[in-house]
Amino acid sequence: MNTKQNFLVLGAAAALLAVSCSKSDSTTTNTQPIPVSNPITPGNISGYVKGTFTTGNTYTITGDITIKKGDTLASQEGVTIIVKNDAQIFVQGVLNIVGTQDKPVSFNSDNNKPGSWGGIQCDTMVSSVTIKWANIQNTGGPDPAGDARKSVFVNSVVPCNVDIEDCWFTNGQDDLIRIQNGAHVTILRNTITCSGSTDGEAINLKSGITGDVAYNVIYSQAGTGVKLETNALKPIPQTNINVYNNTLVSNGWRRGQAEPGRGVSVGVYATAKIYNNIFVNNYQGLEIFTDADTSASTKYGNNLFYATQNTYQDTTQGGNLAISIKAGFYPSDGVGKPQSSDLISTGVGNQDPMFVSYDGKVATPNGATTSNDYHLKTGSPAIGKGNATYNNDIGAYTSDGKGNKH
Amino acid sequence: MTICRQPMNKYFVQLVALFISIQSFSQSGTLKGKVESQQGNEKLSGAFVSCKDSHGKLFEAITEDDGEFKLKNISPGPYQLHVEYVGYDAYNTTITVVENKTTECKIILVQSRKSLAGVQVFASLSQEDDAGARAKEQRSTTLVNVISAKAMERSPDINAANVLQRMSGLSIQRNGGGDEAYAVIRGLDPRYSNTLINGIKIASPDEKSRFVPLSIVPSDILGSIEVHKTLTPDMEGDAIGGTVNMVMKNAPQKAIFKVSGSIGYNAIFFNRKYEKFSRSDIQQKSVIERKGADYVAQPDDFSRSNLDFKPVMPMPSSTFSLAAGKRFMHDKLGVMISESFQNQYYGSNSTFNQATINTHTTEPTYSDYAVRQFSTQQLNNGTVLHLDYEFNSKNKITFTDVLLYSFLAQSRTIVDTSIIGGNGGRTVPGTGPVSTDYLSVTSKQLIQNAKLEGKHILSKHFLFEWTGVFSYAKKRSPDFADIAVNKKIDTVHTDNDIHGPYTFVTTPDYFDAIDRLWQHNEDKDIDGLANISYKTKINENVLIDIKAGGLYRHKTRYNIQDEYQLKPTTSSSGIKQIYTNIYEAQWTVYNSHGTYDYDKNNYKLFEDVTAGYLQFKLTSHIFEVVAGAREEYTSQGYTMNTFHPAQINSLTKNYTDLLPSAMIKYKITARSNLRAAYFKSIARPNYYDLVPATIQSVSNATASTGNPQLKHSVADNFDLRYEFFPREEEQLFAGVFYKKVADPIESAYVNGTTYQPQNFGTAKVYGLELQFTKWLGYFGLTGNYTYLHSTIYSTKSYIDLAQNIAKDSMQKRSLQGQTGNTLNLSFLYKNDKQKIFVQVAYQYIGKTLTLVYPLFGYDYYQKPLSLLSLSAEKQLNGQHLSIFAKVNNILNSHQVEEINNLMMVNEMTNVGFNVGVRLNY
Repeated sequence: MNTKQNFLVLGAAAALLAVSCSKSDSTTTNTQPIPVSNPITPGNISGYVKGTFTTGNTYTITGDITIKKGDTLASQEGVTIIVKNDAQIFVQGVLNIVGTQDKPVSFNSDNNKPGSWGGIQCDTMVSSVTIKWANIQNTGGPDPAGDARKSVFVNSVVPCNVDIEDCWFTNGQDDLIRIQNGAHVTILRNTITCSGSTDGEAINLKSGITGDVAYNVIYSQAGTGVKLETNALKPIPQTNINVYNNTLVSNGWRRGQAEPGRGVSVGVYATAKIYNNIFVNNYQGLEIFTDADTSASTKYGNNLFYATQNTYQDTTQGGNLAISIKAGFYPSDGVGKPQSSDLISTGVGNQDPMFVSYDGKVATPNGATTSNDYHLKTGSPAIGKGNATYNNDIGAYTSDGKGNKH
Repeated sequence: MTICRQPMNKYFVQLVALFISIQSFSQSGTLKGKVESQQGNEKLSGAFVSCKDSHGKLFEAITEDDGEFKLKNISPGPYQLHVEYVGYDAYNTTITVVENKTTECKIILVQSRKSLAGVQVFASLSQEDDAGARAKEQRSTTLVNVISAKAMERSPDINAANVLQRMSGLSIQRNGGGDEAYAVIRGLDPRYSNTLINGIKIASPDEKSRFVPLSIVPSDILGSIEVHKTLTPDMEGDAIGGTVNMVMKNAPQKAIFKVSGSIGYNAIFFNRKYEKFSRSDIQQKSVIERKGADYVAQPDDFSRSNLDFKPVMPMPSSTFSLAAGKRFMHDKLGVMISESFQNQYYGSNSTFNQATINTHTTEPTYSDYAVRQFSTQQLNNGTVLHLDYEFNSKNKITFTDVLLYSFLAQSRTIVDTSIIGGNGGRTVPGTGPVSTDYLSVTSKQLIQNAKLEGKHILSKHFLFEWTGVFSYAKKRSPDFADIAVNKKIDTVHTDNDIHGPYTFVTTPDYFDAIDRLWQHNEDKDIDGLANISYKTKINENVLIDIKAGGLYRHKTRYNIQDEYQLKPTTSSSGIKQIYTNIYEAQWTVYNSHGTYDYDKNNYKLFEDVTAGYLQFKLTSHIFEVVAGAREEYTSQGYTMNTFHPAQINSLTKNYTDLLPSAMIKYKITARSNLRAAYFKSIARPNYYDLVPATIQSVSNATASTGNPQLKHSVADNFDLRYEFFPREEEQLFAGVFYKKVADPIESAYVNGTTYQPQNFGTAKVYGLELQFTKWLGYFGLTGNYTYLHSTIYSTKSYIDLAQNIAKDSMQKRSLQGQTGNTLNLSFLYKNDKQKIFVQVAYQYIGKTLTLVYPLFGYDYYQKPLSLLSLSAEKQLNGQHLSIFAKVNNILNSHQVEEINNLMMVNEMTNVGFNVGVRLNY
């Protein structure tokens, strides 16, 4: 090796070293707590409220609280909110609840009974709603007219972003999430359980709502899991939602046979793309109503339909009423038709999504407890059969880790 | 003051003096007389009578409603008697009063074209006979239509609502149940008119509006009904369409006693039963009102028997009325009592479909087919007490108390089938989700109106009048109970071919929900009115009358409701229970503290009106001019009982309106007038119109909510009318009118199924009215016709999906509730020898805009409606006893509403029969 070569080697090594050095250089932003704006003193609150619930504290809402237009109510992680006296959180301004996976924000009533507080009611003036990593239980107490309140109701008249991610909702009484009048929604990775007493949908989007409903688990809702409609009088803008990778189990039974609920339904000139969802033991599965936008813009496929029993024997009232679950995968009164990309069970055991644990219960009451786990076992037919535009897998729990984190 | 003019030859004057011996205690005599018009022997009340004795001492009197006057304790001897009355020749004669006797005389006046007589005319003319009614129309300053007690008695109608719809330019707006009825004057919504009793506003028992339901006013207690279509400054200014004045029976000069009774039946119950429910367990107060705010309502706190419906044959309807009047204490005290009781059973069978927009064609289409069956019992009681006391011929006070009570019990069955909708709809005819509501409703309404008034002739030229009124109304609807039950009807294919034969399969009935509502409201008015009139002659031909006065009214009102939701208990798997009957149904109380504490419908209202006016009236034998202005200051508002964030919890609105008025009547001949009028008037928002609480309609699937931003309407009104009175009981009126209404209030679609009152720019309304009565021997024909045209612009949704357009667009339309053409035609037969009266009444109500549909180009219109009714009366047994029969809705006409050609409402109430006996003394 001559010196010329040596220099070359040295130079190359130096260059390599320099390159490798620059690659290992890193700059990380340390997460500094954002200075709290207007911290709210822990304890009892009611009336007009703005500011921030601060981490680790417990707040007791003793009467309706109102966030005025222009005001913000924020919550840091790990906050516990206890609501008394059927009070509600009334939002005209901004709501920004941000918990974390480790330290969620908890909302519950003092008596921990289904339908014992008023939930989050957002007025026409609301400008933004963000709820992340919150555990919201037992909403849906009666409103001043005696009717059941929706758990999260957004009735904005101005375009508004509604972000609901990674939350748990249990034991609401009517609609759980109801959003209407032109909001943009991001409803991702939530778990909605045993809500609606004898009526109410889990996610009910009406009149000009756009966005995504994905990776949610909806179990034992009284009415329909995801219901999409536009206002017939104001059909434009349309409600246009991507409904993908949700797991919808045992929904639509509590209203009785007179008003069966669906896993997902599209009606009143709404349009949607419905892919990669798992439908198990719903009274009826995927319904495209005759009055939906049935043009080419409404698309669906790669959905898995399964029933743990061929018929459900409703003997609870002394009758003996057999309901075929399978026949309702695509209900006969709708215009939705099985797609070639769908995985449709032909009988018990066929196309079983293979949940990690599932008791197979069909109808369960509002407020019931459940320990089902809808992660997929290895070998599930849902794995790898998804529409890749959304996900390679079907269902809320996907192997790429983008799915539900509960 | 005496105008001494001997009667001219061409006028016919007659004096009949009858001498009747009556013992008297003092050394004096009494002069008693009766003043009538030559034409039709019409009794002239308010004529001025003066008597001068030989020493020049003057005695004066004013004739009463029946045309009589009396001068007591005057010394015997000859008197110069002088009688004056506006529009008639003055009359002079000499009469001798005999000691200890009552001298009677009858004076017949002749209508005059040349002389202007009468200086002091303060009392009103009797309107209780038909000729009187016509005379009132002719002589009135305002443009007025009057219907007399006699005409009401003979018509097929038993309450004020039915009577009114036969008057010129009037129709009646009813709700679905047919139990509430309000006047639509000249095709304008009831909100543009006001209702008076004896000239004074009364408190309203309605929880929303300021109206008085005319169907609860029995026609037997009424002396007359006047409908004023123009306003003078001395009238309340809140009438754009007009003023309905219900005049109660007055104390007569001569004792009267009338009694009548009838029974009837509604043909609807020939074909089906009446759905009856028990009222015995109905709690008059809500749970919270009975047990306190802390009480937790339990399932057993809610009765079951009022939701248990049993089909029965209803009892016949019955009516009873009595009127008695007499003067006591030497005729100083007048007493009149009228009492009317009605117990009616009626019903309706109807279709009430609902529309939505077909999202593929963007045209309205059915979302629901619904059928309804109502069974109603309505009990009305009206009692009127009239007392008047004459201190002397110049001072008189009158007390009138009107008490109206109405009780309603109604059962409703509503079966609604979804055709399309959020829970799926119909696949083939006969299928779909079916929701059935069974409702029981009871309500009690009470109106109490006490009025004390005085008239004082202060001097020859001054008249002072004052009135104090306490008016109270309340309504209580305890336990409005509604149980909803649902089921679904599907098809099942009998073989594997999905296009093959099928049978229907129906699920069980599921118990969906029960709603219980207790509601009550109260309305109190205190009114004070006073005015002073000055009359004098400018010259021999022109009389001036200056009147100034004022009004103060303080109104308070509250509304309370308390509502409970009962939810079915569920099975162990959480499913709703199957419904078999009300006694098996199990429920939980969802809102166990009711809504009492925070219901938005719990509020207090007030309205204070202060008004003052000044008017001049010039009268000559060829013209009459009234001009002046009224100023009304209004302060109205509400306060909700509980604070509601994001709501306007309390509101006060103050506004002042200066309302000029000018009208001229040109007396073309003694029998004809030409009138022109201008006046400005207002319409105040209904009380509830301002309150932002939501009320679900009981008659259709809509809800209404108030609008605190609402402004009152102000209108400029122009009228022209020609009147011709050929003979007694005959007339011909022809008129045109134009109204410009700023900020008309219309019910506007907000969202979902909710409507809200809103102001809509400026409406232009013009119309034509014709009215006539003609007799040919025994046969008469009377009728009226109204044409109305109005324009307004309102926002509608315009949708064109092919072009991807959905926007708001302005649509031109008529005012809500406007009827284009209204025709009433009655064929009359009157045979005075046989004592028979027969009336066949026909009514045509043209196309009417009933509700605005939110989609461009589409609205709810009521189809033209023809109604026929018959009444007949025959006197028996001399003069005292008569029998009568009334048949309503002979053609069994259905009320039909459509959106273009989509039939939305088809309501059938069937034929009503009534027969009865009347006794007159």
